[in-house]
Amino acid sequence: MQGNNGWTDVRMFYTKTGNAKYISHLDTVRCITRALKRAAIPVWFTQGFNPHAFLTFAMPLSLGYESLCETVDFRLVEEMDFQLAADSLNKALPNGFEVKRISKPVFAASDIRNAQYQITFENYTEELCQKARSVISLDEITVEKKVKQGKKKAVRSVNIRKHIKEYSVSEKNKALVIKTTLSAGTKNNINPSLLIEALVKGTGFEVTDADVKKIQTYTENSEIFR
Amino acid sequence: MIPKEAEKLLKKVQKPARYTGGELNSVIKDKDKVKIRYAFCFPDSYEIGMSHLGMKILYSLVNSREDAWCERVFAPWEDMESLMRENGVKLYALESGDSLSEFDIIGFTMQYELSYTNVLNMLDLGGVPVLKSERTSLTPLVIAGGPCVCNPEPITDFVDIFLPGEGEEVTNELIDLLKEHKEKGSSRIQFLREAAKIEGVYVPEFYNVTYNDDGTLKSVENFETAPARVKKRIVSDLNKAFYPENFVVPFIDVVQDRTVGEVFRGCIRGCRFCQAGFIYRPIREKTPETINRQCRAISDSTGYDEISLCSLSTSDYTEIGRLIPMLFEWALKEKINVALPSLRVDNFSDELMEELKKVRRSSLTFAPEAGTQRLRDAINKNVTEEEVMRTASKAFEGGWSAVKLYFMMGLPTETMEDISGIAKLAQKVVDLYYENPRRQKGKSVTVSVSCASFVPKPFTPFQWEPQDTAEMLEEKQKHLLSSVKSRKISISYHQSDTSLLEGVLARGDRRLGKVIYKAWQKGCKFDSWDEFFDFSKWREAFSECSLSPAFYANRRREYDELLPWDHMDYGIRKEFLIDEDIKARSSLTTPHCRVKCSACGANKLNGGKCDARK
Repeated sequence: MQGNNGWTDVRMFYTKTGNAKYISHLDTVRCITRALKRAAIPVWFTQGFNPHAFLTFAMPLSLGYESLCETVDFRLVEEMDFQLAADSLNKALPNGFEVKRISKPVFAASDIRNAQYQITFENYTEELCQKARSVISLDEITVEKKVKQGKKKAVRSVNIRKHIKEYSVSEKNKALVIKTTLSAGTKNNINPSLLIEALVKGTGFEVTDADVKKIQTYTENSEIFR
Repeated sequence: MIPKEAEKLLKKVQKPARYTGGELNSVIKDKDKVKIRYAFCFPDSYEIGMSHLGMKILYSLVNSREDAWCERVFAPWEDMESLMRENGVKLYALESGDSLSEFDIIGFTMQYELSYTNVLNMLDLGGVPVLKSERTSLTPLVIAGGPCVCNPEPITDFVDIFLPGEGEEVTNELIDLLKEHKEKGSSRIQFLREAAKIEGVYVPEFYNVTYNDDGTLKSVENFETAPARVKKRIVSDLNKAFYPENFVVPFIDVVQDRTVGEVFRGCIRGCRFCQAGFIYRPIREKTPETINRQCRAISDSTGYDEISLCSLSTSDYTEIGRLIPMLFEWALKEKINVALPSLRVDNFSDELMEELKKVRRSSLTFAPEAGTQRLRDAINKNVTEEEVMRTASKAFEGGWSAVKLYFMMGLPTETMEDISGIAKLAQKVVDLYYENPRRQKGKSVTVSVSCASFVPKPFTPFQWEPQDTAEMLEEKQKHLLSSVKSRKISISYHQSDTSLLEGVLARGDRRLGKVIYKAWQKGCKFDSWDEFFDFSKWREAFSECSLSPAFYANRRREYDELLPWDHMDYGIRKEFLIDEDIKARSSLTTPHCRVKCSACGANKLNGGKCDARK
């Protein structure tokens, strides 16, 4: 059954919301691995000394963020109806995870260029809103970004202006809501925390309680990653 | 659902998933539809508590009742605790998010003495008065079980009811009784009177304790409905006993995160230092069919990819030869690893070795416990050097190159010669590796020697023995370090103050309640964690109560001294323990229970049955 030609590559689209946002990426990997096992999905295992289910996540999600557009790729070694697989996975996953669909992948994970986020600050005021607007429309938004230089970790000042592709600032349910599309993917990934940091610095407000939700990921041609 | 105010703190703490609940297989019920709400508390971090098999059993057991809901509570880590206190968030249970004070039963499992201060801290954080005397209503009722309650005296100020022994049956009986009394509107004392009539229920306030001038116990007198001696409860037939079909699967990495198959209770070995070897008697085995079925069910419901077998000295399981192939038959197909911990050197067969080779190879652990044959005989660890060498040699041929050796220091009758014996034995293992022509080429051997400090415990033959002082232990540690000549050998040992405190609390009496209370007030918690342990605060607490740790730890007790745990009946006869202690002094061994029954007395707890002699 297993071998180079005997599998089907599939991509599972799922959401991670509510308290599941407190589950780190590594713990998410383990959680999904176990759910695959419980749901008896015939996934391909690595053939090494320590066989494990072969899973590829397009973009790891930071601890504390919700997401509506997570994906994980795996290989099916037996034919299985995608809807059926999705249904049994939903029964096997803990609350906060929901499989939306399983389908054959169209793009490669490396095709991801942008991601749309919704950032919510509690305690909306008109003043905060104005300040946020003025900060986000500046020509230069410089933040300290942690980078790796070889094996060393360093901090570099980066102007993230050109990586903010789109944004809107509005009020919703007495909260300040910023919808923004940021560079994402293997190159130039901009974590929304950088923008939040710039906003906090620029507005002078003490807003530590920002909720972040990843809404959608896009490829170079602005197609939805699928 | 956890409280909103608590959720706001989660972004500021490490490992927030410790505090969210919502794990797979966690049980959510409608609180208005249950009669008894039970908070199962583990007085340590989430990662430690979630690894504990007893909690998994009792959690499922209580939740299998329609009229009760059992939830889990752990000690929050320092960062979370200080945020909770700052923001007025009470310690809550992970399932409902309700604070401890809203529960009917608050049950602690006492696995080690150094978690006592966490019990106080958790009650306080949960909005429950720490002192029993300040809790006047029927509920919440604070109960405790686990191995430490074989001597519950030091924590009687904080706990209403102790359940010595195994909890599967008595928990249900207690819940039934409390339900009845809640409906009747009984008072706390009315309920306790009835509870004390249940076998295996210890209500400490129904015992008067007096002391002699020298600080030793004078008398322990029962009154009200309490029995003179409280007999520990056991489950008679483990094949019929409740065992969970699923485990709560944590999101974060915990210490034991796998399917656990319990194979038997009790131990045939009778190592004289080992409390577990005596307090879990008599031996009761499960059939391989039961274990296989239980492992299968849990693996299916959790998705775990590893099974470990759990018991004392697992390789003493009489049916291990039948069980292992049974498990391998399906586990290998499903890529599930079967791990066999706690193996004894003398039981390592060729077949077992072959099976072990099929799974992942980690380092090999042996526990000779003492450095010389004389001392091994004294502690009745019936393992010879030849056996250690034979097994290590076999292991080296099988491709292992890392060996862990566990020893103890401060054992009764120990001399410096025994200490250098540890280094010598480790050196012999190193030499053996290089002498072995069939070893894995190009690989170097590592021998890790881990040296614990011996702590005399109740219900062992050494319960009368003085514990080494911190100074003596430090001298022995120095001697050991200077005896090691090879770089292939690494040595690690325990902090000696920690062992001293453990020893004091293990054999302490009721007067220690004040010391524990004061130590907690001074900020002591997580005492089993080196980064938290602060012995200077404990010392202050002792001196403020005019009590001396040395009185409890370093004093030789006479055989006729009344011991604080003498009114607890664990089946083991005192005369048997005395005989064993006397034999230790002349390095005389006692054969294990399968060779010859030594009439310890524990079989009386099970109508004369003991699976050591089936």
